[in-house]
Amino acid sequence: MHRWARPLFTLVLALIVASLCAQAPDRGAVSGRVTLTKRVRGTALPSVAYPAARTIGRHDAAPIRETSNVVVYVRDPAYRGPLPVLRVEIRQQHETFVPRIAAVTIGSIVDFPNDDPFFHNVFSLSSAATFDLGRYPRGRTRSQTFTRPGVVKVYCQIHSHMSATILVLDHPFFTVPNDDGTYRLPLLPPGEYTVVGWHERAGERAARVRVQPGQAATVDLALPVEDSP
Amino acid sequence: MTGARRPPRLLVKTLTVTFVTVALLLVVVFVFVTLSVRGQVRQSVTATLESSQRLFAALETRRQKEMQMQASALAENPTLKAALDTYQTESRRSSDDAVHGYLLATIDNELRKVAAVAESDALVLVDTRQNTIGAAGRFADRWPRGRAASFAGGTDGGAFDGIARAANGVFRVVAVPLRLDDARIGTFYAATSLDQAYADELARLAGSRIAIVSGGRVLASTLTPPAAREFESHVASTTPTEGTMALDGDLHAFRRLVAVGDTSFYALGSIDELSRSTQRAAMRTTAFIAIGAAALALIGSFWLARLLTEPIDRLSTSLAVMAASHDVTARLPMTGSSREVDALTETFNALMASVADAEAQTEAAYTGAIRALAAALDARDPYTAGHSERVSVLSVAIGRTLGLPADELEVLRLGALLHDIGKIGVPDHVLRKPGPLTSAEFAAIKEHPVLGARILHQVPFLARHLPIVELHHERPDGHGYPYGLQGDDIPLDARIVHVADAYDAITTERAYRRGRPPREALRELWRCSGSEFDAEIVGALGNALPGITTDAGRLVLESA
Repeated sequence: MHRWARPLFTLVLALIVASLCAQAPDRGAVSGRVTLTKRVRGTALPSVAYPAARTIGRHDAAPIRETSNVVVYVRDPAYRGPLPVLRVEIRQQHETFVPRIAAVTIGSIVDFPNDDPFFHNVFSLSSAATFDLGRYPRGRTRSQTFTRPGVVKVYCQIHSHMSATILVLDHPFFTVPNDDGTYRLPLLPPGEYTVVGWHERAGERAARVRVQPGQAATVDLALPVEDSP
Repeated sequence: MTGARRPPRLLVKTLTVTFVTVALLLVVVFVFVTLSVRGQVRQSVTATLESSQRLFAALETRRQKEMQMQASALAENPTLKAALDTYQTESRRSSDDAVHGYLLATIDNELRKVAAVAESDALVLVDTRQNTIGAAGRFADRWPRGRAASFAGGTDGGAFDGIARAANGVFRVVAVPLRLDDARIGTFYAATSLDQAYADELARLAGSRIAIVSGGRVLASTLTPPAAREFESHVASTTPTEGTMALDGDLHAFRRLVAVGDTSFYALGSIDELSRSTQRAAMRTTAFIAIGAAALALIGSFWLARLLTEPIDRLSTSLAVMAASHDVTARLPMTGSSREVDALTETFNALMASVADAEAQTEAAYTGAIRALAAALDARDPYTAGHSERVSVLSVAIGRTLGLPADELEVLRLGALLHDIGKIGVPDHVLRKPGPLTSAEFAAIKEHPVLGARILHQVPFLARHLPIVELHHERPDGHGYPYGLQGDDIPLDARIVHVADAYDAITTERAYRRGRPPREALRELWRCSGSEFDAEIVGALGNALPGITTDAGRLVLESA
């Protein structure tokens, strides 16, 4: 996403939450902080044959905080309400998908504009969405609608090191933490929930929480965790 | 030369000396070669191993680099990476076998395509926990899916070069990480099986024996099984870089080619085996030299022996001729072959000269003694005084007229002097009896030739004179004594002396008659020639008489 895309995304979510609030004022919330205890990105491996940084212009890109690669969501909230249809962009810049993580509701559309001065390709082998958008040059955009919940891994057939992950959810209770790691899941109906902090590589951490009407429960999530299947 | 053992020929001696010298020289050369060969072989084996190690290390580094490049390129397969990453994501979230099967099939398919162009024994994909996800290639079956393989990185090749222990085998691997963005999602192995075939290939390339030791065990080697066991026990605890050790009875030099993780590659060379073949070659060369040297020695010895023996042979032939002719006056010719032989010849000739002098003196002494003896005999009877001396002169004169050689004349002179020596044994009263002799007395007289011969028989020097003494009373008609020989059976000497004796007897005055003049005596002799005397000799006497001017001649003339 572009720098202006994140506030826009937050604004859209706020609007959804506001509309939900209007319908049900007796809602609660979960807030907290996500901390990454280890450096996850950039774990360079020693090699002479395979240099760590081999993408062009990579160092010109602004550093992205790793917490932006985390999605905090509620596991199986048994939500029956209407789902907002989102339209999210994952751009292809400097042989990288930006952002690398996206969370959308079912029926949402993800656009993949190509900003690099060469061809890119977008394809996926995931069971939630198997597709191949083909190759296309700079300035073009191809889009994909996600209709099944799950994790969709997206790659570029031309540049084998590129990858992005799209989390497709069947409910609206998810968010991406702020740069300082704080997050807030508003408008949750009272009840027992499992809040999950998910990172594409560091794995996920789940915590049970009871949401009281009009109150905000606090759940802090430390990643990575032991990756237990 | 008469002993049981004759001394060896000069040729044999020179041959022996040359051969012994050559043999000693060859033995020394052989011993030296044998001793030096082992040291040289040891050095050369060590040098060979060292150069193989350098070569191998260089080639290995290059090969590993190339394989890394190849593997890196192959590992960039986007489908493979996508399938692996998706599989890992999916398997964390669900256990839908259909989905997993589809993704694993995709992985296997990609690996097979890659394996078709790769040179490795196996191409393997493992996840971040070293669990095998998929494998392709000849040895794919040694990497069963889901089984973990341990990996030990090499010390010099970095993390990408190492040894992987799969479920069913140990592999040398080039490890390339599979990455998405900066994250590692797995590892791609290009694996080479460390089996017997690999050891054989290495051995062929290195030109030495190879042993691959991993974790204290010999994985594969081109050594004999007992040698491999010994080597294993030796390197189990330590991993020496080089050295020598006895394996299966043979001294081996060994050197570590390369060490990766807990695995070492050793090159070994048998010093003893190489020494043996080199020694065989040295022996062959020495044998050739020996044959050549022996042939040269043979030729040289013959030549040397001939050089030495030829003049000696010539000398001994001359000596043999001299010995056969009893000729002490002859001189050996100079051979001119060498100073030593010429000096020998000169000395011998000087010796012979002195021997000839001594002989001459001895003969003179003998002659004097005999003359004195004959004179003493003649002196017994006044009538026969000077008889022997006169007969001697006459006989020599006859002999000279007949043309006899000088040495015959000498024999004649002495023999004539001694012809009546046997009369020593005839009693005085018979010998001096003025009147006619009785038959017994005459028989006693007739004994004197045999008696004389018996006396002179003792003196070897007078052997040639004996016939004169013994047979000077034989007659051509066979009526003489003592044996009654006829004609030519009587030696010429004896016949001459017989004639001279008779002539002197006739011309000399005796107790019982007067001496008669020479002409009358000759006539008397002529009358009896043919029967009593040899006519030719009587003729010779007749021719000789006028020329006799010696003392004896004068005697003859006086008495005439």
